[in-house]
Amino acid sequence: MEKLNIFVLEDDKLAQKVMAAHLAAHNTDLAGDLKTALKKIEAGKYDIGFFDLMLGPDDDYSGLKAIAAAAQKGIYCVVVSSSDSDDVIDRAYALGARDFYAKGNEESNVSDILRKFIQNRKAAGAADIFASAFITADPETRAAAAEALKYAPTELPILVLGPSGTGKTSLARILHEHSGREGAFVSINCSAYTEDLLEAELFGYRKGAFTGASETRKGRLLEAHRGTLFLDEIGTMSLNMQMKLLKAIEERSFYPLGSEKPERSEFRIISATLEDPQELIARGKMRFDLFQRVHGYTISLKPLSRRPCDIAPLLQHFTKGGRRLSFTQEARAYMESYAWPGNVRELKKFTDLLSCGAEGRIDLAAVQKHLKGREAAAAPARDGELYAYALAHGLEAALDKTAGEIIERSLRENGGKRTKTMADLKISTRLFYSTLKKLGLDNDGEKK
Amino acid sequence: MTDTPDSGKLLHDLRSKCSSLKSAAELYKDCSAAEKKEMLALMNAAAAEITKLLAQLDKA
Repeated sequence: MEKLNIFVLEDDKLAQKVMAAHLAAHNTDLAGDLKTALKKIEAGKYDIGFFDLMLGPDDDYSGLKAIAAAAQKGIYCVVVSSSDSDDVIDRAYALGARDFYAKGNEESNVSDILRKFIQNRKAAGAADIFASAFITADPETRAAAAEALKYAPTELPILVLGPSGTGKTSLARILHEHSGREGAFVSINCSAYTEDLLEAELFGYRKGAFTGASETRKGRLLEAHRGTLFLDEIGTMSLNMQMKLLKAIEERSFYPLGSEKPERSEFRIISATLEDPQELIARGKMRFDLFQRVHGYTISLKPLSRRPCDIAPLLQHFTKGGRRLSFTQEARAYMESYAWPGNVRELKKFTDLLSCGAEGRIDLAAVQKHLKGREAAAAPARDGELYAYALAHGLEAALDKTAGEIIERSLRENGGKRTKTMADLKISTRLFYSTLKKLGLDNDGEKK
Repeated sequence: MTDTPDSGKLLHDLRSKCSSLKSAAELYKDCSAAEKKEMLALMNAAAAEITKLLAQLDKA
């Protein structure tokens, strides 16, 4: 583990001893009173500080003053205190504390805090993942992925939603890489197996457990011990398998097929589905209790058609180190308005096709040759997402959003011609302008 | 019953001392012999403080 410079403000001798023991692997500096603390904070260089608030029997939360000084110096301040009134907690956070823990469970709390701190620092200092491992220039997608990364070093299960080909597996891998978990990233696409095969893949089997089991094989659950189990297309799993998986998640142990000896595995679950989980539950395709177990934090990835700004950086990424392509203005515009039903995966295939072509300069005709049936493909990919939006914001808002997107797109395809757009969509002038106004768009369908 | 300010402070100190004692007890088994001796002295002092606080709480 990385060695940190840690500061501890604690007046109680026994508590000092406890903290020193838990921080033995790091460079730790202790202070027992405010004056010494302020002096040390001023002179020292610390990564993280643990602060008690009441320093002595008649003290009035003077530890808060040390937090303010430490936060100003960029120290990550964590309060470990027996004071738990809302007022004190609010004051500590307002002065710059980043975390607040009740005293008494240092054994697990301190190691959790340090692990999270190290992983978050690694995530922040890592090469820009949005330009390498998870290419996106879309501010909304960047913000969502950055938010998800904050949960990477926790035990919380993560559910990744999004249409096929939007990068759910890549994101899951990145989350694992930033989790600090020592085990492997083990991925399985649940839709690729029949129920029996999926059970054998997940739980493993003993030699002779079934016809064809010529040798004992470790399952994915065991392979993911102390690591991450990524369950792609979890919504396709049978209810029977969901029940078995739920049991394994809850008990952290399971029986491989044909074995009477239980195996233990501590894995963190990241799962993904292209369907709306609430809808799956309503249709009886997903167990509610399993859903509860796998959706600690949920991130939704937008289809590529809703982040056209990603097309250019993705094209650049896919052709890096190989044949570079150049696109005419019309070709670019066409690609940006294309529905990309297969999302990033389709764009990759499309780039491969172009890279093998005769010309390095790509015009509209070359693009159109490979991208056909663009209108027909857009709607199904957004179905689940729109439903989720309606559940979150109401049906009226969802209908407004859809109307706005259709108008916006039609305007773009008509080169901004409003009359043509209204005629194409068979809508009144009033509906046209009121929809744009509701969505904060100007009369050309652009964001104001 | 509403705590007087004094009993509130006493309860805070009591929670704090008890928490330290609990954390120290969890660590104790992994300490070396010399550390155990030092730890035990500190734990005894904390226990005496707790007794004192309980007596004060009784009077408050």
